[in-house]
Amino acid sequence: MTGAPDKIISGLGPHGERAAAPSRITLSDADIAAARNRNFSVAVVIHTLNSDWSRQSMAGIVGTLEECGARVEEVVDCNFDANSQIEALDRLSREQVDAVVSIPVANSAVAEAHRNVARTGKRLILLDNVPTGLLPGRDYTSLVSADNFGLGLIGAECLSQHVAEGGQVGILTYGIDFFATNEREIAFARWMKANRPDLSVQTRRFTSLETTGQTTEDLIEEFPDLAGLFVVWDIPAMEAIRVLDRRKAEVPVSTVDLGREVAIDLAGEGRTVGIAAQQPYAQGVAVAQTAILSLLGVPVPGWTALPGVSVTRSNVVESYRMVWNTDAPTQILPGSQGALSR
Amino acid sequence: MRPAELNEAAMTEAAEPNGSTRRSKGRPRKSDVAAPSLSKILNLVRAGEATTRQEIERASELGRAIVTDRLNTLTALGLVDESELGVASGGRAPRLVRFNKDAGLVLVATLDQTALGVALSDLSGKLLTEHHEALDLSAPAQETLDRLEGLFEWILEKSARSEMVWGIGISVPSPVQAPSGGLLSNSPPILPSWDGTPYVERLIQTFRAPVWLRSSVETMAMGEFHEGEASVNETMLLVKVGKRIGAGLVVDGQLYRGAKGAAGLIGQLPVTSDGRTGPLELLAGSDTIAQEGRAAAMDGESPYLADILARGGDITSIDVGQAAQAGDSTAMEIVSRSGRLIGHVVATLANMLNPSKIVLSGSIAQTNDILLAAVREVVYGESHPMVTRDLSISASRLGSSAGLVGGAAVVVESLFDPDWLRSWITTGSPLSSPQFEKVLDLTMSAIELVEEGESDVPISLGAKPAGPRKTDLKSREADT
Repeated sequence: MTGAPDKIISGLGPHGERAAAPSRITLSDADIAAARNRNFSVAVVIHTLNSDWSRQSMAGIVGTLEECGARVEEVVDCNFDANSQIEALDRLSREQVDAVVSIPVANSAVAEAHRNVARTGKRLILLDNVPTGLLPGRDYTSLVSADNFGLGLIGAECLSQHVAEGGQVGILTYGIDFFATNEREIAFARWMKANRPDLSVQTRRFTSLETTGQTTEDLIEEFPDLAGLFVVWDIPAMEAIRVLDRRKAEVPVSTVDLGREVAIDLAGEGRTVGIAAQQPYAQGVAVAQTAILSLLGVPVPGWTALPGVSVTRSNVVESYRMVWNTDAPTQILPGSQGALSR
Repeated sequence: MRPAELNEAAMTEAAEPNGSTRRSKGRPRKSDVAAPSLSKILNLVRAGEATTRQEIERASELGRAIVTDRLNTLTALGLVDESELGVASGGRAPRLVRFNKDAGLVLVATLDQTALGVALSDLSGKLLTEHHEALDLSAPAQETLDRLEGLFEWILEKSARSEMVWGIGISVPSPVQAPSGGLLSNSPPILPSWDGTPYVERLIQTFRAPVWLRSSVETMAMGEFHEGEASVNETMLLVKVGKRIGAGLVVDGQLYRGAKGAAGLIGQLPVTSDGRTGPLELLAGSDTIAQEGRAAAMDGESPYLADILARGGDITSIDVGQAAQAGDSTAMEIVSRSGRLIGHVVATLANMLNPSKIVLSGSIAQTNDILLAAVREVVYGESHPMVTRDLSISASRLGSSAGLVGGAAVVVESLFDPDWLRSWITTGSPLSSPQFEKVLDLTMSAIELVEEGESDVPISLGAKPAGPRKTDLKSREADT
């Protein structure tokens, strides 16, 4: 069973490690047979179930675990709340599950709760984020993530083509210390500095999805001539786009994650001009494979990363099919009205 | 109130219960008299050796009145906190004395040939945020320095902390010819391409904080020591295996740097393999491992590596390590041979130093167990039984974070080194110590000389240092 193809990874891991390719965690038929005999149980603690990314990641995780005869005991939706996550992890530490898959929703606040899971002897597979100070092999088993640095570079390159010389571009980023969004933000700014030194980059941070709109309003007020905007994932990007629409601000936007809504905006010639897509389904598969291999006692890499996909209007339909493992919605098919209805 | 004023008020109140600030001619200032006891108490609290007033009295052998007085001063200076109650053992619950690890911040960076790492830590040396990215150190020094400063600014902004930066620790891939004690006010030579770049002066002026430099093996050794649950009196040897091979040594919790900061340059030691004699790093380093792996892929001796080559990839030492881990017999032999050569040198060091712990670091040591197994086999086979009785040999788990953790530890230990601590403790911050004020003047003068083109050396300054950060001492004083 193989996941995503091996491609170049631009970023380094949370401890400076070089990424292992997804091919490193391929399951052989013998591995699957061995896992089926062991009836492993796995719990998943996720930041939200209310996004396309989460649903596809879960599909990859659950599908692969089921193929290996493992039970998904529980799926906890933390709703981005550190306390909910701590409560869930503390409870799972006491329960009879063999492995826990988790996306840490914060940094130091949730570090100890994650450490406790590993202390009880359970395998802890992290998705997308590692609280500072946690070490692979001691505090968690492995991290699986997208090449978030690479996603930031793609986001910058896509946006750059739509920004005239000497303009101002904004980064709308997450105010919480989170490995994945930190990497995207840093990479975007680095690409711009190296390749578009004529542009000035302004960074503004939102601490929750609810404040994204206001943060965008503030940014536009402060920089009325804003010539481009990069938002570190698709849901806040759509919030920002709604603000831009309301204010009739013709600002091109690039973002990360090929969510349905932003894909429709891109295809329909809305404000979205480019998307750096993760491969959430393949990532979910990689997470489950890592969990199974570690439970079978096979050494697994400290960090496995999956490359990003550059999505523009010209390849959005094929990219959607590839990333989501499903047909593209009719709104993004050629000839549809899409976001032109705006 | 400025720190200096706070200090003066606190010291006056502490030292003169009657409120008098007069002192007779020839008598030392009360603050000068108090500095040694303040330093002693702060370091006892910081190390966790004493956590209540009673424990401090016992450990410091100071009287109750002095301890009370000094703790009041340290509290007023924001260096300790007594707001928490401990567990009562009969009477009233004692107040716990805690070191305020959030009184200042530490910036840390690791520079190596292919990557740059940055981190922010508190005054306990705990990393709060870290980031690593690929970087080519052969690029112009100015470019690297710009990037480093940009990432430092990013990490401070991201943290949203308003505390001042008390120190900066930089780890570089070469020996650092600078003394362990004292404050740096110029830029020691580290790499030929960096000669003439006043990187230390620029960092000091930009972040208004003292800078400490150490070699990468030194910071990695400190990092592994601090993060690896080692006890204070342990001796630990770290061996970094990469293109270069070097060693770092921590003795009783202290970094051993040697006379010129060049301890641990073991890569040049001659070894013999298959009839060839040459430096250890030439015959066992990652370049050789990659080269032999490439040859094995091209000859078809290694199916695993041949497959990587066939898919258009280049063979790196990490690929060879991963192939060895996956059971490829040719790759296993390549990595084992390297491990055995390193093992011979490490065994000699182990017999000489009798460490309690040896840690192998570098990506080649972390991607597989084969190198570790080969080193262990040789060290156990060639060492005196007493040397290996309780010896632990393991691979690093910290990876590149080791250099950051160690860099923070170097800064924290330097800040609180008893000799220097005594010179600043009465001001409440190392940034307002007379020595650091002098360093600020010296580094500013050096930069002004460059701007005026009057420097004796061909210094390249690049971008003019930015104005002081909002969080630095001078800005804050101006704000208030």
